[in-house]
Amino acid sequence: MAPTTLPSPFLDPGAYSASNSLGIIQLRRDHLIPAVLSSSADSEYAEGKVENTRFGSFPHSTLLDQPWGTQILASIVDTGSRGKSKKRKRGTNDEGEEAPATDLKVEHVRKDTVKTAAAASSGFAHLVPPSPETWTLCLPHRTQVVYTPDYSYILQRLRVRPGDHIIEAGAGSGSFTHAAVRAVFNGYTSPGAFADGAETASAENGTVASKKRRRKHGGVYSYEFHAPRAKQLGIEIEEHGLGPVVTITNRDVYEDGFCLQNKDEEQIAPNADAIFLDLPAPWLALKHLTRSPPSPAVLKAVAAASDPSTPNAESSVSTSPQPPKPFHTALNPKGPVRICTFSPCIEQVTKTVSAMRSLGWIEIDMVEIMAKRLEVRRERIGLQEEGLRGANPSAATVFEAVQRLRDVEGRAKVFHGLQKEKQSEIMKRAEAKKRGEKVPAAKGEEGEGKNTVKVDGLPPSKHDRLERAKRDLEKRELFKEGRLVHRTEPELKTHTSYLVFAVLPREWTKEDEERAAKKWK
Amino acid sequence: MHSFIRPNTHVALRLPSGVLKVLEIIPNTTINIGKFGTFPANLLLGRPYYLTYEVYDKDDGKSEPELRVVSAAELHAEALGSDHVAPAETKAESAESGAVAEFDIVGENGEIIMRSNRMTVDDPSRQTLSMDEIEELKKAGTGSGKEIIARLMASHLAIDEKTSFSLAKYTLRKSRKYLKRFTALPMDIGILTAHITEKEAYKIMELREETIGLICSWANIHCADVSRIMMAEDGISQIGGGRWLVVDDTGGLVTAALAEKMGLLYDSEEEEEDENEEEDEDEVQEEKDEVTLEGESLPQFAALEEAERKPSQPTNGISKTAVTSKPIDPSNPVLRPRKPPRPHIAQMSAHTNTLTVLHTNNQPNLSSLKYFSFDPGAPSPTHPLYTHLKSVSWLQLIYPTEDPSYIEPESLSEETLAAMKSSKRGNYYKKRRRWERTARVVDETRRGGYDGLVVASVMDPKTIMKELVPLVRGGGRIVVYHPNAEPLVELCDLYSKERRTAFTERQLELAQNQSSKVKLEAEEEDGNGLWDEYDDEDFPVNPTLLLAPTLQTSRARHWQVLPGRTHPMMTSHGGAEGYLFTATRVLPAEGRVEARGRFRGKKRKIGTGSAAVST
Repeated sequence: MAPTTLPSPFLDPGAYSASNSLGIIQLRRDHLIPAVLSSSADSEYAEGKVENTRFGSFPHSTLLDQPWGTQILASIVDTGSRGKSKKRKRGTNDEGEEAPATDLKVEHVRKDTVKTAAAASSGFAHLVPPSPETWTLCLPHRTQVVYTPDYSYILQRLRVRPGDHIIEAGAGSGSFTHAAVRAVFNGYTSPGAFADGAETASAENGTVASKKRRRKHGGVYSYEFHAPRAKQLGIEIEEHGLGPVVTITNRDVYEDGFCLQNKDEEQIAPNADAIFLDLPAPWLALKHLTRSPPSPAVLKAVAAASDPSTPNAESSVSTSPQPPKPFHTALNPKGPVRICTFSPCIEQVTKTVSAMRSLGWIEIDMVEIMAKRLEVRRERIGLQEEGLRGANPSAATVFEAVQRLRDVEGRAKVFHGLQKEKQSEIMKRAEAKKRGEKVPAAKGEEGEGKNTVKVDGLPPSKHDRLERAKRDLEKRELFKEGRLVHRTEPELKTHTSYLVFAVLPREWTKEDEERAAKKWK
Repeated sequence: MHSFIRPNTHVALRLPSGVLKVLEIIPNTTINIGKFGTFPANLLLGRPYYLTYEVYDKDDGKSEPELRVVSAAELHAEALGSDHVAPAETKAESAESGAVAEFDIVGENGEIIMRSNRMTVDDPSRQTLSMDEIEELKKAGTGSGKEIIARLMASHLAIDEKTSFSLAKYTLRKSRKYLKRFTALPMDIGILTAHITEKEAYKIMELREETIGLICSWANIHCADVSRIMMAEDGISQIGGGRWLVVDDTGGLVTAALAEKMGLLYDSEEEEEDENEEEDEDEVQEEKDEVTLEGESLPQFAALEEAERKPSQPTNGISKTAVTSKPIDPSNPVLRPRKPPRPHIAQMSAHTNTLTVLHTNNQPNLSSLKYFSFDPGAPSPTHPLYTHLKSVSWLQLIYPTEDPSYIEPESLSEETLAAMKSSKRGNYYKKRRRWERTARVVDETRRGGYDGLVVASVMDPKTIMKELVPLVRGGGRIVVYHPNAEPLVELCDLYSKERRTAFTERQLELAQNQSSKVKLEAEEEDGNGLWDEYDDEDFPVNPTLLLAPTLQTSRARHWQVLPGRTHPMMTSHGGAEGYLFTATRVLPAEGRVEARGRFRGKKRKIGTGSAAVST
């Protein structure tokens, strides 16, 4: 996949959807399909690339160059015959010598004839620009996803602002990565800075670093232990045009920390202002997030605070006699650094907080975010709803209940009366028969039929009521009937993770104090 | 950004009682934090944020008040100590005394697992220090309050009987009362929210930090400084470019939160100084200029504005040439010789990364911005909000011609001007500039194409939506906050699937009806959703303009994390829950649209747009 051209559709989508750029097809509120729109005809379909959904097929040709937010009508796409053409193609390849020519020809023919899609009679979707929120709803899940209520709060509490550098360890599925990019972004660095791609440990190049920076460009430094996930995230980030803002590193941060090296083997710190750790054992990574090399005593305290039975903690302490290479901090030395760890279990929180206390973090605060969505609907209750969908057909008021009971009673009375009449008729007839009078049997039935028609005051039968409800439905305006209610949606996330926040203030030495005192005497 | 405390900025001091005291740090003044002490402001200036200081004043035998930084280890001593040291001590103690009776929960080997509170006596007389003695101590007040606490503990008869938990609580309570400490916190959205919530939560519509975060995320707020300027098909209106509409009845808190996310909240000057305080003066100057001019480098737009307004003088600051190549125009009478020659930068002139605030009164109420060195009454031109924050009143938006500041003042010729008195001339230019600014902002707002709409208003949301949703571009985000659910529930209902279906049905009927066809066309051209009046009652807003309206709420639950004592906080703020309505602005297709999917029963096509997008 060719990397998309800048600017990223996440940050500046432009007025229209463009080719080679991500667009989101929104079918229902939580049903979105991400698609890198392509105008190429290189596809199994006559219409070029097509997104097939439950609500119809959407060829990319109908999605391209549309104003964002447009309602797109589904098209008629022949989804049945694509297999055939593919088979034929494979067949020609197998034939050998003649194959390349025909293959080319086939390609050529296809490229020329991107069929203009014909609108289908039904089905539609909306084309919306990508954003961290829409992406979070439709990204390919690799790990647990950090959802909007959590990441919005985290970024708010971490005070992440445009131009900041943020470390994200445990990139996972990349939902937080996208949100963090939006928070720090304030322009793209020069394209040369990331010449060797986002997957390697690259950082700003020497010229940018040595030249006094006019303005700090925001950056996300993303670390992922799992190599395939890191690679996949790298591909996504490139596809989304966010490459210049994100530096993805495949690394074990417990062991190797966060410092990055450029080509001259010289340490370039991420210079982080904020840190987000979505790791199973954040306390193991904390020792790499200090302003000065932590003393062995502190390290021991950290290790003791975290579970001593964790072999990893033991080994990392024992095997870290100060390395010969000079210490580099991964943090911005000039400002306070804020951290957030994201752990589902309370035990993880206890260990993390203990480690933070030992390492001098302050303002430690643990919170849990409880978010819910509400559904709003009109609750229709009443006897008029009998037989209709989405409503409760029981009586809405006492009056209605009484009326219904009366109706039932009334019907019963009439029915019993009729029964009695019938009975007496039969009796009469029987008596008449006995007496030898001739009474045609049919007459009685006729009379009965007349009777039912005659009874005007007869309350409606269930059948009548259903008929009437159906008839009335045509005239009713359901959208404003019933009582407007709201309640929590049926699917509820009751726990995502515990969030631990802390701040590491700027280091303040005696010399600094003296200088400040002199300046502000 | 917040590396150290700068003169004349607002700082929040957190006192031991947990109260936030917000004040401006002015050099050579004295800061008084009540019973916790008094000290000169200069002791804070130039120092980093987030440090906790202990106040030593005359009572402590110092000739001058002093501040001592309390280290993190000291702050955590209690939590860490009870974790590592305390168990060892109790073990030794129990071995010594051998008395097991006073402890309830004892391990098999006689080790005390937990003290019980069986022996606790609830009696105030157990504190042997009398009120007067404590007052005496307070007056003597040495050791920044630590001594009082030590004495209090020593003279408590039953301190040994306390369980470790109640002892910790006791110490904490006493420290909150007597310790002369405070923590210097930077002024940011979170601190400001906490500060206002303490006493006047209603002023910010009971917004909480988690809600602010949600608002910013759902509104897709970000820094769009480098966004492209896209023209709509008419060649005049702008689409996107990182411009957001805001309706803010929270005294500017929402505006400030959005501005923070857009990189507009803090003075650019501050930022530059961050890099290096000993930086060359002229370099700072240079950078400043660059920052303030970045909104101006848009030749095509400038040309456009010029063509539109035909400014009589280059003083309106939009023209690029006026700004860059000829900052000092000798023929320009406005620049008084006394002032250093500085290019005039028009207020509210940025084209990208802007916030447009709609306000009900003549002036917007954005008083919260004062905490961030921006006074809406007399804005400083170096502040990013000077160019990036625009304000439009509802009258200007809906009936611009009724607003006097929108009406062009008389344009005078060069000669007449030259003959004028300088004060009069100045007035003339001031008026002209004000008109230019108002007209520019009002016209831009009315042309729409905004990236999003953020509403936190006490007004009925549907009336706001009716006017402002059409001004949002396709794919733009709509976010409405309200402390209570009901207004937003109603809003959700106005955009419900059923209502949308009914609306399109009615529109189609209208279209078929010859007489109303003309009206409909007019409406389409207008794009302003001003459909026929008789629909107003059922359709106060055009329900087809928004996709996937969602109502949500979020609350953060705070926990206490202490070794063996981790649990959620016992109390927290109640009040309004705070709800958020979010939706995406869409451009509905014309004509009949049939939904597909979710086939229920025999009926295949139920109605227009009924099933495909759930609400």
